[in-house]
Amino acid sequence: MKTEKKDMAAALPMVGPVTLWLLFFVALPLIFVAVISFCSIDQNYNIQFQFTLENYRRLFDASYLQIYAQSFLIAALTTVLCILLGYPFAFLIARTFPKRKAPLYMLVIIPFWTNSLIRIYGWRSFLGTNGWLNSLLQALHLTDTPVDFLFHQGTTVLGMVYCLFPFMVLPLYTAIEKLDQSLLEASSDLGAKGPVTFFRVVLPLTASGIFSGSIMVFIPCLGFFYVSDILGGGNADVIGNLIERQFQSGNNWPLGAALSIILIVITLLLVKLYQKCGGSMESLGV
Amino acid sequence: MKKRVCAGLVILSAMLSMTGCGSGGGSGDAGELNVFIWTEYVPDSVVEAFEEETGISVNVTTYSSNEDMLAKVKSETAGAYDIVQPSDYMVEQMAAQDMLLELDTDRLENLDNIGEAYRNPSYDPEGKYAVPYMGGVAAIAVNTDMIQTEVTSYADLFTEDFQDSLVVLDDYRAVIGMAARSIGLSMNETDPDNLELIREQTLKLKDNIKLYDSDSPKSALIAGDCSAGVCWSAEIALAMEENPSIEIVFPEEGPYIFMDNWCITKDAKNVDAAYQFIDYMLRAETAQQVSEEFPYLQPNTAAMDLLGEEYSSNPAKNVPEDVIASGEYVQNLDTDSLAVYDSIWTELKK
Repeated sequence: MKTEKKDMAAALPMVGPVTLWLLFFVALPLIFVAVISFCSIDQNYNIQFQFTLENYRRLFDASYLQIYAQSFLIAALTTVLCILLGYPFAFLIARTFPKRKAPLYMLVIIPFWTNSLIRIYGWRSFLGTNGWLNSLLQALHLTDTPVDFLFHQGTTVLGMVYCLFPFMVLPLYTAIEKLDQSLLEASSDLGAKGPVTFFRVVLPLTASGIFSGSIMVFIPCLGFFYVSDILGGGNADVIGNLIERQFQSGNNWPLGAALSIILIVITLLLVKLYQKCGGSMESLGV
Repeated sequence: MKKRVCAGLVILSAMLSMTGCGSGGGSGDAGELNVFIWTEYVPDSVVEAFEEETGISVNVTTYSSNEDMLAKVKSETAGAYDIVQPSDYMVEQMAAQDMLLELDTDRLENLDNIGEAYRNPSYDPEGKYAVPYMGGVAAIAVNTDMIQTEVTSYADLFTEDFQDSLVVLDDYRAVIGMAARSIGLSMNETDPDNLELIREQTLKLKDNIKLYDSDSPKSALIAGDCSAGVCWSAEIALAMEENPSIEIVFPEEGPYIFMDNWCITKDAKNVDAAYQFIDYMLRAETAQQVSEEFPYLQPNTAAMDLLGEEYSSNPAKNVPEDVIASGEYVQNLDTDSLAVYDSIWTELKK
């Protein structure tokens, strides 16, 4: 008993600051968001602390539901594209060129260190009507009139894939690297051809990487409002745009808070689903 | 180990410089002034010149929407900002909430530089709280290389000719207001039946809007990404300089007009410096400098004389009086109507 107390006294200075930090900067703000989501605003945008479910009722307006659906579609497309592009790339780093690991890895990491806003604006000038890509296409006489790349749902998906690609590659890389070479040899010894080995041995063994990569791509997609603003031109809003609007120009913080709560709930459900499917929290970096 | 020491030094120096800012500013002889202003609206050079002349150190913070500013002024500790720069309807709202200081106009020697037409505006009828800074209208920009049809009104933009080609302000009151005016209704409509008409009209714009952008709509116009648009007159003026095929059209329904103002907050800590700053901004030479960088409608008539013919005869910079007279300010609406505006906007953007 005595030693336990002693341990606690010793641990307190270590754990105390972190606990306080979490309490003040994570728990309290979250509680505040939850509380104001049940409030309303008055004529002057002041929050009125009177219980109402009106904000939550508005979340089910038809136009909001359509934006949720659009968010899911954008996030799902982004995830699928990230898998299709990220898997071969991760395989390349982990197995094909193990000696070139560092430079290949850097190809993913270095852009990741640059502010994503700047990179997204870069895409905008690259894809614009008078952008580099159109100039190139016209110079090669592949097209006479500039191609209209910008400001569609597709452009938003492109931006999301671009921003979130590292989040898919890194868990995939970890999973593929752990793959035991002898299992592949065994598969081949037993007469399995390349595709069979891939689908029946490699893919199931690396599924955990695909799972955690998907979670780490899908969830941020729902909130990446600036990508849909800059590349989608406001034509491909995700849930993040709805939240941003209520906290800024709409100035209806309670409604914005209710939308945030919905996004948090969706996130938790997805993570729960991920755990149910056997995903480990560790590979999400938790 | 070496790396760690380096990182430690970086953090340490960052901390030192932060505390330096905090205390250094306050200990200046002539004091410190906190101004909260729009982005891309007051040239840095002007603020620096003011600092040099008066010895007052000015901390500039910026915002990009009135509502954003209101929320921040409320959530900060009292007196965090000495000067704010609200638009017309926001002056009214802040005055109603007792957030603004009643101005002693005797302390503003240069106030006479403001033209008669801009004194005592509808949102501040006695001229008690606000000193006009600059304004403009939401006008139509047309790239005549890309658009052959003649445009004279907001209503013209709702036709099929403009499919997937417009850049509009990412501002729900501006876009819905434009739809309202195009069918002869007010930008500040609150009647539920009329709001349904406005909803119908606004949604017709859906296929025509290519880009929502309030920050720099001129970029899409200059680059040719959008062949027409609705944005602030000064943005169009700048676009016209970059791309001569762009023209400005004032909608015959009468445009959305705005006027931004200097106000001192009720809790201002350095009222003397605030008056000094506003008076400095009212000088003809200062206003001229401002307009040369940001060519908005300049209510400072003394500055207009300095700016000369090129400025005053350019309708995009010096919006004609009859256009202003035909326009409408945005007003504060009740929360129920605003909820309808919000739902129209969400439906448009889905």
